[in-house]
Amino acid sequence: MSSKIAYFLVAMTLAIMLALPVYAAPQIGAPAPDFTATDIEGNEFSLSAHKGKKVILEWTNHQCPFVVKHYDSGNMQATQKAAAEKGVVWVTLVSSGEGKQGNVDAAKAKAIVEDEGAKVSAKILDSSGEIGHLYGASTTPHMFVIDEQGALAYAGAIDSNSSPNPKTIDGATNYVLAALDDLEAGRAVQTAQSQPYGCAVKYGK
Amino acid sequence: MKLIKFLSVLVLSLSVLSPALAQESKPDQYVKIRLLPERNVVRGGDDIMIGIEQSIYPGWHTYWINPGDSGAAPRIEWALPDGSSIGDIHWPAPDKIPYGPLMNFGYSDNVILLQKLSLPKDIPVGPITLTARVEILVCKDICIPEFGEYELVLNDPLAPKEDNNAYLMAAQRKLPVPVPWNAAYDVQGENVVLKLETGSAAILENIEPGSFDFFPVEWGLISNPGKMKMEIRGGDLILTQLKGERSLNELNSVPSVLAFTNSAGERQAVSFIAAHGDIARVKTASAASGLVKALLLALLGGLILNLMPCVFPVLSIKALSLAKAAEKEAAHVRLSGLSYTAGVVLSFVAIAAGLIALKSAGAGIGWGFQLQDPLVVALLAYLLFIIGLNLTGVFEISGHFGTLGDRLTQGTGLTSAFFTGVLATLVATPCTAPFMAAAVGYALIQPAFVALSIFAALGLGLALPYLILSFVPALQRVLPKPGAWMETFRQFLAFPMFASSVWLVWVLSQQTDAMGLLHILIGLVMLAFGFWLLNHSPGKITARSIVQILAALAFLSAAALLPFGDKKNEPARVESLSFGEEYSPARLANLLLSDEPVFVEMTAAWCITCKVNHAVAINTQEIKSLFAKKNIRYLVGDWTNYDESITDYLNSYGRSGVPIYVYYGPRDIVTGERPEAKLLPQILTPGIVAEAVNSY
Repeated sequence: MSSKIAYFLVAMTLAIMLALPVYAAPQIGAPAPDFTATDIEGNEFSLSAHKGKKVILEWTNHQCPFVVKHYDSGNMQATQKAAAEKGVVWVTLVSSGEGKQGNVDAAKAKAIVEDEGAKVSAKILDSSGEIGHLYGASTTPHMFVIDEQGALAYAGAIDSNSSPNPKTIDGATNYVLAALDDLEAGRAVQTAQSQPYGCAVKYGK
Repeated sequence: MKLIKFLSVLVLSLSVLSPALAQESKPDQYVKIRLLPERNVVRGGDDIMIGIEQSIYPGWHTYWINPGDSGAAPRIEWALPDGSSIGDIHWPAPDKIPYGPLMNFGYSDNVILLQKLSLPKDIPVGPITLTARVEILVCKDICIPEFGEYELVLNDPLAPKEDNNAYLMAAQRKLPVPVPWNAAYDVQGENVVLKLETGSAAILENIEPGSFDFFPVEWGLISNPGKMKMEIRGGDLILTQLKGERSLNELNSVPSVLAFTNSAGERQAVSFIAAHGDIARVKTASAASGLVKALLLALLGGLILNLMPCVFPVLSIKALSLAKAAEKEAAHVRLSGLSYTAGVVLSFVAIAAGLIALKSAGAGIGWGFQLQDPLVVALLAYLLFIIGLNLTGVFEISGHFGTLGDRLTQGTGLTSAFFTGVLATLVATPCTAPFMAAAVGYALIQPAFVALSIFAALGLGLALPYLILSFVPALQRVLPKPGAWMETFRQFLAFPMFASSVWLVWVLSQQTDAMGLLHILIGLVMLAFGFWLLNHSPGKITARSIVQILAALAFLSAAALLPFGDKKNEPARVESLSFGEEYSPARLANLLLSDEPVFVEMTAAWCITCKVNHAVAINTQEIKSLFAKKNIRYLVGDWTNYDESITDYLNSYGRSGVPIYVYYGPRDIVTGERPEAKLLPQILTPGIVAEAVNSY
């Protein structure tokens, strides 16, 4: 089967998935679903435009205690910094629906980034939940690592300890950094999937 | 128990300061935790149940061990006194809690998790303090983690006595009941298909269709919000749900919970382990072993059959005939041994073939089925009686009929050797000998050729002693020298035959009524009369013809008195049950849902091993009082006549014959689980029964 047909089929599948109310997560190793959106700075962000670079997607909700766990402790910022040093593109997404917890406008979102000291390439407000459904994002945080070829290399939790207690960050395995290390060393990603933990993504109607 | 410290990260208590606002304001805790010991006065070496009770604010929920699409399971960290240990958390079956497009698994209102605390043998005098750090995520639209540290004090001389046993027992009844069902799952296209073999269609009839919720302990196996489709095929339940995001090659066996509503409208749950595998062939290998082991067991079982009271006389006569034959050439003796072996092995294979054919035709039968038909039992009673008559010398002279006895037992001709083999098989079938049940049980779930070779091995075992004797002249020389004593010995051997015949008549009395019994007894008299007539034929031709006609009439009436088409399909009643109650699948299922220990015995009137075991090792004062003391519910099933429910029960333990003895230990007060059912050996002593029953 030629790769063109394969991509066509994948695109068709994605189109069907978008039409379905039940979310279905993309498969590890398969092309990560493409999306184009305007970020909080007013710039257009398109995933396919970053082929050749690794991309990390982070679903967030600044009021969720699990997000608070990783930002107040500085763990998420440290992960972002380590990724940036490796030239990785970091995209933070907010899929909270209108009136739901974590739903913010661009100005508030900018303030939060500044306040957190977050190091992100782009932050996208997905209040329709469209991108969230495309990836089957279920929790905040929920992390996705995409390799240079645009294939999904990791999906799941930020680390191995699902406790809301920030004290548990020490000693936990950071699955995102581990996946980046594996990709850089040309190895298969050892933990390519984990159960995402945290608050439910507060999708709108 | 007292709460010594409580930290809430996000929630501050305002309600205490302004009671008027209490209803609108947030509670100081969305989950109130209480630690409830089964009792607060303990001794060294005690195991006690501890309940961790969550009282959840209305509309909010907490999570199961697998929280579903989001959330996190609570965590409990114990600080225990030295030497104590705490077991895993036992989780009640969760509810499905939908949130937007997502699906979570958890609890609302009130839930109690259970843990088992084991105290060391030596505990200090005075109060013992345990501390639990509980971290619990509670969500509605938003999520709040709550952290608390709770103290539990046991043996506090100042505290009032606390007994939460009844409350915790009620909580324990909400735990999923572990079931021994075969379960397997596999991916079929977009779906995960789960197949559960409950082993009984009756179980599934008690379940509201469509009330199933499937909760795998592992994440990512199913798409949690997906709708589940259900199908019942006999005793099998087939569930289909959209598969989850996890790649299944990293998943193997998945502990799972299935919750459902029973016909009484109550919510129930069972737990089992689902294996990743080919669901078309979920049938697991039985408890019995592989082919080689089964063949060896069959051989051994066959050897032991030689010692059974009805087989032994036939074989002794046959063996002694070798002493007589020793003068004949060795080649002939060897051929005779081989013919006998052929007779035995072919008879066994024929019986097996019949059994397999009947089974494949859908009959719920097992080993010993031959004796479930009163006609077969009556024929065997006649046969053993005739052999007995022959041995006593009622008819042993020459003449047409006189050779019958010789043929059957004494001759050294090849045909007679063959028929001795057939006869030995016939008289050996009544009871499943020790070692044979496992082998035969294994045989009957195998492909036909495997089953047939196992039966052939059984036959070979039965034939082996005689076969060896016929091939080793040295052994033949060890046999006593022939002489007048042989005639006396032969007559003596008639009595085990008569006894066996009497036993078969007694079996028949379980299967037929008083009139049927009378018929067969008259039949026996007619047989004796007929043979006696033939043995005393006068010399005159006319007189002899009259006598022969009379004898023929006697035989015909004996045949006419056989119980043709009697009530063989009615399950037998358990006869003379001195204690215990009658087995039925429903009764057993109900008892197993209770907490009490259960002892199941499957027996049959025609099974001597069963009768001896019952008399020696169960129906004794010692065991009866032990059963009473331990509150053991004792169920007896009678397989004398065809009874499919008992055949099913035997099959579920890989057996296809009686006896079987199974002990189900009492439900563990802490974990709510029953220990694995204990299968007792097929030869019992009071010691074996007591040991099994005392083991839990």
